[in-house]
Amino acid sequence: MSTDPLSFQQWATFARAWYLLDAKMQPPGKIAAATVIRLEGRHKPIYHALNDCGDHVVIINTRHIAFSGNKWEQKVYSSHTGYPGGFKQVTATQLHLKDPTAIVKLAVYRMLPKNLQRRTLMQRLHLFPEDVIPEDIEKNLLQEIPQPRAVPKRLDEYTPEEIAAFPKVWTPLIWIDC
Amino acid sequence: PPPPPPPPPPPPPPPPPPPPPPPGHPRACPRIPGAALPSPPRAGGAPGSLQVPPEVQPFSRASQFVRAAVILRWKTLKEHFRGRKNRCYKLAVKSVRRAFVRSTKARREKKRFLRALWITRIEAASLEHGLKYPAFISNLLKSQVELNRKVLADLAIYEPKTFKSLAALAQRRRQEGFLAALGDGKEPEGIFSRIVHHHY
Repeated sequence: MSTDPLSFQQWATFARAWYLLDAKMQPPGKIAAATVIRLEGRHKPIYHALNDCGDHVVIINTRHIAFSGNKWEQKVYSSHTGYPGGFKQVTATQLHLKDPTAIVKLAVYRMLPKNLQRRTLMQRLHLFPEDVIPEDIEKNLLQEIPQPRAVPKRLDEYTPEEIAAFPKVWTPLIWIDC
Repeated sequence: PPPPPPPPPPPPPPPPPPPPPPPGHPRACPRIPGAALPSPPRAGGAPGSLQVPPEVQPFSRASQFVRAAVILRWKTLKEHFRGRKNRCYKLAVKSVRRAFVRSTKARREKKRFLRALWITRIEAASLEHGLKYPAFISNLLKSQVELNRKVLADLAIYEPKTFKSLAALAQRRRQEGFLAALGDGKEPEGIFSRIVHHHY
């Protein structure tokens, strides 16, 4: 490597970074959308399709993703083994129980551009069902991507002071303790 | 006895053959033997200092350069082709013609492709500063900063601080737009507080 300071800047500009994304209580589609932007490199002003400027993304807690609506029962993942009578259809719940990372993996794979780069970019995606990450990946992490959905608090997560301070329209006759 | 007859005069020497032209000259095999050869072209060559290849047989001085340019362009193109297209005449001719047609059509598509690339880059840079691309562009135009997308993309790459200040300008103009729409009509204080009303 030369001692030219601009070559150092070039290496720094085109270096590959590692990002972390927590998928707890997040819709998998929005997780995939945020991931695909980073994998392709579209978050960088130096983006070009031929530049290979994409980064690594590590997604944790894929077991705790949250579909909206009734998609856990209604969303169907289809595949065909290639043999006659080999058409398989599974609901999102069944697929999730069989493999907790499959839903996010399929979502990202189907959102990436359908070209030869897709498989290479999928190799830069790292999925973990819980927040246990291997040490060598944890050492590489640079920054956390903000979660796409603001997670609402459940009623039992509010403290009694906050509940008391919340404005009431009417007081019930019978007080029910939550 | 009569003196011996004088020897017959020697036959006149044959006319000297015309000097052979230099090997690189276009008239290496002259069409009319004995006719005067035209003077060779200027050493520097006329348009674009083009070197006329020996196999060109020109009828006039001007067309020899046009022909040479065309053949040179064909040669430089086909050398980069894959397979027999870069060696065999019949295949090369088709490929070179299609390459020219495609390059003509691509000149229009290049403009579209480059504009899309600039927009992607500006979007990436403005999201780094917390603004989405439509908000950024529309508010820049409303502030009468009429930089085109090419220049904005170059600024985003090479002048990041300038781009940051442009993003701040667009953000401030956006806030003022909201205040004008939702606020109580009073002019807010500040540098960019004067909202320009365009009357077209």
